[in-house]
Amino acid sequence: MKSISLYIDKDSFLTRLHPFAKLVYILAAISVPLIGGALWMYGLFLVFSLGLLISGGILKKVFPLIAFSFTILITIFLIHGLFNKENITFLFRIGGLTFYREGLLYACRIGLNILNMLLAFASFVLTTRPADLVDDLEQAGFSPRFGYMITSVFQIIPQMMGTMNTILDAQRSRGMETEGSLFTRARAFIPLIAPVVSSSLINTRERAIALEVRGFGSKNKKTFLKEHRLSGGDKMFMFLMALLIAASAVWRILHVIY
Amino acid sequence: MSFIEVKGLKYKYPHTSKLVLNGINFEADKGQFIGIIGENQAGKSTLCQAFAGLVPTMFRGAYGGKVLIGGVEASKVPIAVLCQKVGLVFQNPFNQLSGAKDTVFEEIAFGLQNLGIPREEIGKRVEKALMLLDINKYKERNPFDLSGGQIQRVAIASILAMEPEVLVLDEPTSQLDPQGSESVFQVIEKLAKTGITIIMVEQKMEKLAAYCDKILLLHQGTQVAYDVPERIFSRDDLKKLGVKPPIYTQVSKLLLVNRKEGEEFIYPVTLKQIEKQKDQFPSIRSAGVRERNSEKQDKGVFSIRDLSYYYVPGVLVIDKLTLNLDMRPTAVIGQNGAGKTTLVKLLKGLLKPKAGTVLLEGEDISGRTVAQLAKKIGYVFQNPDDQIFKNQVLEEVMVGPLNIGMTRKEGEARAREALEMVGLLHAAKENPYDLDLSERKMVAIASVVAMDPKVLILDEPTIAQDVRGREVLGQLIRTMEEKGKFVLAILHDMDFAARYFRRFIVMTGGKVIADGPGDQVFYEKDTLIKARLEPPHITRLCELLGYEGAFLTTEDIRK
Repeated sequence: MKSISLYIDKDSFLTRLHPFAKLVYILAAISVPLIGGALWMYGLFLVFSLGLLISGGILKKVFPLIAFSFTILITIFLIHGLFNKENITFLFRIGGLTFYREGLLYACRIGLNILNMLLAFASFVLTTRPADLVDDLEQAGFSPRFGYMITSVFQIIPQMMGTMNTILDAQRSRGMETEGSLFTRARAFIPLIAPVVSSSLINTRERAIALEVRGFGSKNKKTFLKEHRLSGGDKMFMFLMALLIAASAVWRILHVIY
Repeated sequence: MSFIEVKGLKYKYPHTSKLVLNGINFEADKGQFIGIIGENQAGKSTLCQAFAGLVPTMFRGAYGGKVLIGGVEASKVPIAVLCQKVGLVFQNPFNQLSGAKDTVFEEIAFGLQNLGIPREEIGKRVEKALMLLDINKYKERNPFDLSGGQIQRVAIASILAMEPEVLVLDEPTSQLDPQGSESVFQVIEKLAKTGITIIMVEQKMEKLAAYCDKILLLHQGTQVAYDVPERIFSRDDLKKLGVKPPIYTQVSKLLLVNRKEGEEFIYPVTLKQIEKQKDQFPSIRSAGVRERNSEKQDKGVFSIRDLSYYYVPGVLVIDKLTLNLDMRPTAVIGQNGAGKTTLVKLLKGLLKPKAGTVLLEGEDISGRTVAQLAKKIGYVFQNPDDQIFKNQVLEEVMVGPLNIGMTRKEGEARAREALEMVGLLHAAKENPYDLDLSERKMVAIASVVAMDPKVLILDEPTIAQDVRGREVLGQLIRTMEEKGKFVLAILHDMDFAARYFRRFIVMTGGKVIADGPGDQVFYEKDTLIKARLEPPHITRLCELLGYEGAFLTTEDIRK
């Protein structure tokens, strides 16, 4: 079964880091440059994120994400460089297009922000098993029903795609042409809808019963298979991040005063 | 007072008028093994649900009478509390999965976590359940990636680990290979000896007769009898009730081997009991020479050359298989995960070979789309709900014929003929979703038969079919053979296979290890063991009695 989770199973500092510590990292990576307000702070966290991703050996997996975001970044640069309403200072000219300093700076800020968030989230999503995160959230007091909702999505969507394929096979077996032109394929889609909907409805009902029979509604306190406490390292890491956030606030205040 | 007491149990589902359970009364003690039998719609599954409290707590509807388990009334406690006392294994194991765990280990632990069992204890119990059901090697796999038979074991393990006092199982071995289901029965018997009460619905009468203390016989929601297996299977009204006694009893009835208990004749129901009465059986009997139609070599249908297939590179599911299939009805048999379904999907063109070729009447099928092959090769999927999408049975059956270019008139004629063959012509105007699972399976079969294909492939057609359903199926296979069609089926029911098929292909590990008529294949003991198969019950019986020759059906004895 194809997994829809982006988690990459590799043993590294990042995968061992507690999910909460990684969440705190995302918080720091986003809030520090916002609070501090200086461009170099984006650079700092970009370098930091890249370092983490390299140490986790997953830099390659981030490239497609970055490549995708570049299409958006280029549009932002074009629009703001050319048309930002605060554009005054002439910078350079390509063909008939004139670029201005103010617009480009503004675009730079947005671009760095996007890139920074992307990398920070990537270092979290690529190194955290969804099930582990949910488990930790439940241990921290979230309701098991909420946890089930999240984890089941990761199981049920691939499973529904599997059912889709079986249904498609069953219809092809009865002479429904599913290969060929767009029209043929669109037409082949119609007979899939009823079985897919009905089988997921039936499955949902049966699953609710299955959960009851397995004691899901039990009032007993749930046991967790792994007790994932914050280690000394995790706490240290989180403390460091908190410190950075505080430092950025101080920096900002000092800059405003002077 | 007995541990389990069912008193005057009545139930009907909401928005229906018919009672699905009507006056059930029986008792069972701790550690007893109780079997439930009856034809489709006898109320077996509903009764199972009543034990787990799902009826009426979950399904609502009108409920009367009592189900008492250790003094607790099943309908009055929340399911989450009752499930610590009563474990229910569903008929469809796939639906038993929690859908939130991505390894078998965590799946089995799920129920224990909910009940708040201490962590070390969970580890121990899950390991034990994994060992008991022989699924330790899958413990890190995703349950959704396993085959039907393997999921069935996971489902049983997940309930066993909760250590209920009563274990209710609804056809727990329907998807298992013969030796697999025997080992499940042995595990369950062991549990019964430790004081767990077992309640089991099963179609495998020979197994129930051998393992049960008592059997509850139901018919259309009413209780016909509750007695020891010998007395239940010695009744002479079984045929009317849609139940067939074990093969051993059928033969004993045929040969009038019995003992008198008061006014009643009691027939042996297990191989052990037959052994005790061995001297009563007529001594010299040998099976007549079988007519071997195969000798006049039929013309070939499929020609398979060096066929290989894998889902994950390096793990061959079909391993350089070379095989010729002719017109004889052929059964593919073998253990769970032997590659049977993969093979038939390759023949149907649903999967493309990784190496080798499949020729259909001399023509390579690799260049054709599945839809183009549909005219010639019909394939019936295991789950009918994967294909049904019209809201009228006749319309549903006509989809295929219209797809392959028949006129409406011709399509309807074919559809009616096919529905007649599966005994559902009377339901032509009904909504398929109003029919029960066994009938929907028949609709699916009819919808393929109506396309009048040269080849009919059936994947485990006997699952969920009772005695009547099996007879309809058998008849259909014979009719198709007479019409000059080639029938290929994957089967786990050896008695059924031996009765209606003429060629048997034994598979294990993606290879064919035996191939031939039943009187040859079912007597190759080493091969059968290797493929985790068992010969038909009649074969074992005649071997015990020292009858010479090959016996594959009860008719072989009558001769």
